[in-house]
Amino acid sequence: MSDPPKKTFVITRFDPDVDEVPKTQSYEIAVDPDWKVLDAVNYIKDEVDGTLSHRWSCRMAVCGSCGMMVNGEPRLTCKDSVSQYGDTVEITPLSNFPVIRDLVVEMDGFMDKFKKVKPWIIRAKELAAEDGPVRQSPEELEEFKQFSMCINCMLCYSACPVVSNEPEFLGPAAIALGHRYNVDSRDEGASERNAIFRGEGTVFSCSFANECSEVCPKNVDPAAAVNQAKFNAVIDWATGLVLPSGEKE
Amino acid sequence: MKQFLLKVEPVIWLLFGQGIMIGTMLLTGWVLVMGVLAPLGVVDSLSYEHAHGLASSLIGRVVLVALIALPLWKGAHHIRSLSIDFGGADRDTELATFLYGIASVGSLLAIVAVVRL
Repeated sequence: MSDPPKKTFVITRFDPDVDEVPKTQSYEIAVDPDWKVLDAVNYIKDEVDGTLSHRWSCRMAVCGSCGMMVNGEPRLTCKDSVSQYGDTVEITPLSNFPVIRDLVVEMDGFMDKFKKVKPWIIRAKELAAEDGPVRQSPEELEEFKQFSMCINCMLCYSACPVVSNEPEFLGPAAIALGHRYNVDSRDEGASERNAIFRGEGTVFSCSFANECSEVCPKNVDPAAAVNQAKFNAVIDWATGLVLPSGEKE
Repeated sequence: MKQFLLKVEPVIWLLFGQGIMIGTMLLTGWVLVMGVLAPLGVVDSLSYEHAHGLASSLIGRVVLVALIALPLWKGAHHIRSLSIDFGGADRDTELATFLYGIASVGSLLAIVAVVRL
């Protein structure tokens, strides 16, 4: 039997206690063709260099933890096979995020953006339990289902040119999540969120580069959500001009 | 200026969105027919009187203003976005004022020209 193929993984290393700037370290390892990129990084961590830090959890594209830049592209490493890459694979932490250590990035700013879009069902009047469930038709479910598939992997923020230039930009995942509730037939908070969407650094900052949808591993299509959100925010704004009290209701 | 831009952003985006539709679909066809096919004789050219009659009707005037003004807004918004994405330009600097200024002046001139037809 022939030896398994070898690949060189060039990985960004950064220890804030020691390094002033990130450096790279190369690891040449024999790879199983069935491996995902994450398997290779895990192998390096377990068998070659235990000091390497990276995040991962489910290994099946559900938890969204293992996002990294692979050869310069934001990728979910548990989804990409090593065999789709050449002999040298460059792995760096996700772009547009502060690096804590090696491949681990700071998520706090990202999580804070979600709270801003009020990602929960807002009702003008809460229903009592005895009123029973609020029913939805399959068509009504279809309106938002796609946008609820986000796993918060942050790849879209890493790919977004606007986030790169304006870190305070609300960003694709948060806007898609807000839009997901705006088009949910059970929700009555669209005016509140549309007012947020017309604020600084939100939907109108998007230049529709579409990179977010290109890299999304769950086909959420955040670029579509952002542009639908723009349209709804404009309609809501115009309605507010004609019916000034409309926004307050 | 920043606050003003923020306030009018929905209007700019609407003009931009319509500009994309007009610019991509109608203007392309317009240029193809009027700029290429008619001079080549592939399609019959309109006589001056016929063309003037069409353009100076109410619908003709509206279509002409839309064909000239909306793509200006599309272009201005695209260049602003591209300058931010690729050139690292500031969102609310003179660039936005300059680009939307051109689009505004162009739109006004288009309206004046079309009214005077």
